Amino acid sequence: MTTLNPATPALDTAPPPPMRKRRRNLSFDRVSLFLVFLGLPLAIYGIFVVSPFVQAIGYSFTNWSGYSDAKDSVGLANYQRLMEDEIFRKALTNNILLAIVLPLAIVVLSLALATMITVAGRSVGETRGLRGAGFYRVISFFPYAIPAIVVGIMWGRIFDPSAGLVNGLLTKLGFSKFKDFPWLGEESTAMPITMFIICWGMIGFYMILFVAAIKGIPGEIYEAARLDGAGRLRTAWSITLPLIRENVQTAYIYLGIMAIDAYVYMQALNPFGGPNNSTLVMPQYLMTTAFEKSQFGLACAMGVVMGLVTAVFAAIVFTVNALTGGKDQVTMA
Amino acid sequence: MQEFQLGRRGVLGGIAATVAIAPLAACAGSSSGSKKSEGAKTEAKSDDNPFGLGKGTSVEAVIFSGGYKHDYVDFAAAEMKKKFSDVTVQVKPSTQISQELQPRFVKGNPPDLIDNSGANFIGFGSIVDQLEPLDDLLDAKNYEGTAIKDTLFAGVKDPGTYNDKFAVLNYVLSVFGMWYSASLFEANGWTPPKTYEEALKLGAEAKKKGKYLMLWGKEAATYYLTSTMISAIKEGGDEVRLSIENLQPDCWSQKAVQDVWKGLEAIIKAGYMKPGGNGTQFTAAQAQWSNGQEALIYPSGAWIENEMKSQTKDGFMMTGMPELVVSDAPKMPYETIRAEAGEGFIVPTKSKNPAGGKELLRAMLSKEAAANFAKTRLAPTIVKDTVPEDGFGSSALQSQNKMLKDADKNVFALRSNTYYGMNREQLVVWNEFLAGKSSVDELTKGMQKITDKAAKDPAVKRIEIK
Repeated sequence: MTTLNPATPALDTAPPPPMRKRRRNLSFDRVSLFLVFLGLPLAIYGIFVVSPFVQAIGYSFTNWSGYSDAKDSVGLANYQRLMEDEIFRKALTNNILLAIVLPLAIVVLSLALATMITVAGRSVGETRGLRGAGFYRVISFFPYAIPAIVVGIMWGRIFDPSAGLVNGLLTKLGFSKFKDFPWLGEESTAMPITMFIICWGMIGFYMILFVAAIKGIPGEIYEAARLDGAGRLRTAWSITLPLIRENVQTAYIYLGIMAIDAYVYMQALNPFGGPNNSTLVMPQYLMTTAFEKSQFGLACAMGVVMGLVTAVFAAIVFTVNALTGGKDQVTMA
Repeated sequence: MQEFQLGRRGVLGGIAATVAIAPLAACAGSSSGSKKSEGAKTEAKSDDNPFGLGKGTSVEAVIFSGGYKHDYVDFAAAEMKKKFSDVTVQVKPSTQISQELQPRFVKGNPPDLIDNSGANFIGFGSIVDQLEPLDDLLDAKNYEGTAIKDTLFAGVKDPGTYNDKFAVLNYVLSVFGMWYSASLFEANGWTPPKTYEEALKLGAEAKKKGKYLMLWGKEAATYYLTSTMISAIKEGGDEVRLSIENLQPDCWSQKAVQDVWKGLEAIIKAGYMKPGGNGTQFTAAQAQWSNGQEALIYPSGAWIENEMKSQTKDGFMMTGMPELVVSDAPKMPYETIRAEAGEGFIVPTKSKNPAGGKELLRAMLSKEAAANFAKTRLAPTIVKDTVPEDGFGSSALQSQNKMLKDADKNVFALRSNTYYGMNREQLVVWNEFLAGKSSVDELTKGMQKITDKAAKDPAVKRIEIK
């Protein structure tokens, strides 16, 4: 957690630290520290993250087929094709929809769970979670321990039209119109069901993240709030949320990145894009374009668009956080 | 901590970029490579060594390991070792041919022999320029001393030819048709239908027994596209095939196609197609047919027997028959089938030892190796006369033999769907249609749109299919 924020005016009024004479001593200690903690990560980052990214941007302006080194520059033609491609636009829209719904749903739900487990317990005595919080914590975290592909396959079977658990239960309960109802094959239900499954798989992890953050807030603050007569909702909104704001922002961005990818879940549930492409996401279309249609140039352009969308998403989250007062808030150690 | 935030934003951006680009970056690899890797030495060519395979060289084969596994190539390699004892052969299985070999193609050191199949095969159009022509393989003598071309089923060359270059040897012969349980039909006194009308009537019979006529699974909805394409071609003759295969405008509006689709629509509208297929994983759906017997007939290729082996009811007696037709007098006889070899083997020109790749293929085409394949995989290869009458006790293999025999010369292949990579887009419209949510008109429009898109795509190398 951030303790000091040099950008906040509050700190400018603090007396400046006494200037010490800096010794530029290039001892073995210092050099090796720089090499290991700065040089190495930078090199790895440069080689495995930056250079492929640059390379892919380069390829996105060519008609590279992917299986030889023959390629011609085609300028922005690939991007123009993408914008004219109805299916790509559909995939882009789906990713944006995921990026809008998933982070919000998952953050809200996991925050609610985290609150329940940490501070929503008895309203007398020490601040604590519900009875059996440890048990709930393990249960909620459990789905995250299952690999995403397994989650997808498992839920695919649970929603199977004729042999699945869901339709079995519903028809047993007398809802006969759900006999053979294809939850993942119906355009109106495929995306919501898919989102539900992703939420199920992710909530546990973010809950643990928030639990850790909330545990960092001193109990006295909650006690003080309680003495002032704040209810549980009020406490969550006015105490917990502002104090773990940074964590929420980080979680939000991670979830956004996940939503703009979402490849594994989609591939497990509806490998070809779902009914009327309603669950098709960009990376699926990218893989098809590259490896089935051998149009790596075009696929690289898709990758660049994905990267840009992610960057825009992160920018939006930062801006919203700043505009809603994230800059001048108090944070806890 | 403003500066630190910026740094983190950069990192997050980097993560995003990695997420987005990693699969591409991984394959981009070095672009240095068009150089031909140093080739293995060769010998003088002779009848016994038709490709001049060098002494003491090594051969590397990457084989798609799917339903047929990969060890049948090990068997062929052992046969080859009998003739070339000092040559080492490495057979490596792969399930991701495209992802695994793409960087090697770019770098210019692909393996000597590749079985380019499976869901992740490399589109042949994009590598055909880098492949060895295989005409000399067909002209060579096999291990028994007969010219190889005389030992194969007809029609091996056409499907492996791209832009007049015969570069792909499809090894495993697949017969396409409608599959049913002979025992179930017999027990109920049903006769296998030959026309869509008969199928509709059979659907009513099935309904009485609480069964459906057909079913489908979401990833295999286009099996019905293939099936109806074959029906339409039989109904309307070869010009229907040429029009569809060469992506003609309005090819899906041809009368024969429309008649067949209307026949299928009648079955769907009557409720004889098991609902929910658009949400069912395809092997689960197939098991509802082969194990649950919830539906009577299923369109597929002959691999279905192997694929469903562990999920087929005892005494099912899986049997194939030619695809349905519309009228009593189709332009091609009812017995006409689509029989097509799959598992495309290729020898890259830039590989270290192309002669070794070809020699291994020659070993695979030997009587011994081909018979071993048929016997252990219950599927025929393109080598004739390797399956006995009793089909090694498999009813499906027997019926394949019969279908091939009945069809005689009336055999054709379909190539455009896989060549142009249209399957994913077609799946969408077919799932809608089979679920009864779109009409024949909408299906036609959707299919034509996909076809037109491929036809007009400047990045797609068109081929003329004859």
